[in-house]
Amino acid sequence: MHRKPHSSVEHMVEDVSTIHSLPMFYSQLSEAIDHPRSSIGDIAKIISEDQGLTARILKLANSPLFGYFSKIDTITQAVTIIGVLQVRDLALALSVMDVFKGIPEDLVNMEQFWKHSIATGLAARILATSQREANLERFFVAGILHDIGRLVMYVRVPGICLELLEQCRATDTLLHRAEREKFGFDHADVGGALLKKWKIPPRVAEPVGAHHDCRLGDQYPRESSILHIADIIAHALQLGNSGEIFVPELDKGVWDRLQISCYFLPTLVKQVDSTYEQTVSVLFGSEDGSQ
Amino acid sequence: MAVVHIDNLAPGMVLSRNVCDRSGRMLLPTGAELTEKHFSIFRMWGVLEVEIVGEGIAEDAEAPQHEEVDPELLRQARAEVERLFVHNDPEHPAVKELLRLCTERRATRAP
Repeated sequence: MHRKPHSSVEHMVEDVSTIHSLPMFYSQLSEAIDHPRSSIGDIAKIISEDQGLTARILKLANSPLFGYFSKIDTITQAVTIIGVLQVRDLALALSVMDVFKGIPEDLVNMEQFWKHSIATGLAARILATSQREANLERFFVAGILHDIGRLVMYVRVPGICLELLEQCRATDTLLHRAEREKFGFDHADVGGALLKKWKIPPRVAEPVGAHHDCRLGDQYPRESSILHIADIIAHALQLGNSGEIFVPELDKGVWDRLQISCYFLPTLVKQVDSTYEQTVSVLFGSEDGSQ
Repeated sequence: MAVVHIDNLAPGMVLSRNVCDRSGRMLLPTGAELTEKHFSIFRMWGVLEVEIVGEGIAEDAEAPQHEEVDPELLRQARAEVERLFVHNDPEHPAVKELLRLCTERRATRAP
């Protein structure tokens, strides 16, 4: 049967996952980590080959986000202190930020896009801390990647996306709803599919796919819920922007299930604000974090 | 019965519900009278609110008031923030608190 172009999520991510592929080194790194006989030295060696990445990981590891008083100055130390999986997650976040380049400015301002992603990552990490979750970096990474599907759509169907953006501004609608109406799926579905295709672990891919509809996240419901709330916080604080101009609707069931106290919100906002500028400047390299 | 934020508790208040930490372990049972010592224990275990007997304090609902902000600035910030939240239910406690926080944040950050 003949299908309309762009009629499925799979179709949307098909070429993108090959043209915009993750750097070779990420699969090497994953392989090394999964290999039972590789040592911390082996893993550190793979990361150290990318100097830009090494510098950013070290900066991040030394930032107040982690709260280590001793200075971390080699990747081996970072891997030992922060943990292998955490360093892999950070490396993933940082390499994806380099993958999408050259999207027209009238569709998306990349700096604003990543700022929104970073704010979501921070909010997710802080929320996860308050929920006593372990391995916090997966929350940070899920936040960084949560709107990646939107970049895929900007690359694949720029014309339709521009139309949708304008339509949402004119009619005060939520962009992710307009996407669903137009395509039958939204950027969350596309992001989840891309990450799956890139073979990113489901503990990150699934929450990304479910962050607007947490019923989809059946294996990692807590991760999806935390990401859902974090996205709303980042929108509410208006830190960066990924195309959506309004705060997405809060899923009340998700809020109730997480059992977050409303009294925690001021603390959360304060912590996001106090770490945001610095994290932005670390992740953007030498640029400062000013708006 | 009233839910009271830890900052607004005073010694002598009586619990109307067990206070538990995040993992569900009981810290203090219903009926206990609060003392200063309990407050630091609550803080240590991440308890943000407790339920007490009686009506609580009237101003608690609005949380600690912000310092002097130009009311005109505040009104303007409120309108902008409300527009951001048009797709949310303003009566939901979390949305309500976010609206309050964002308005204040916006008003105090305005140049």
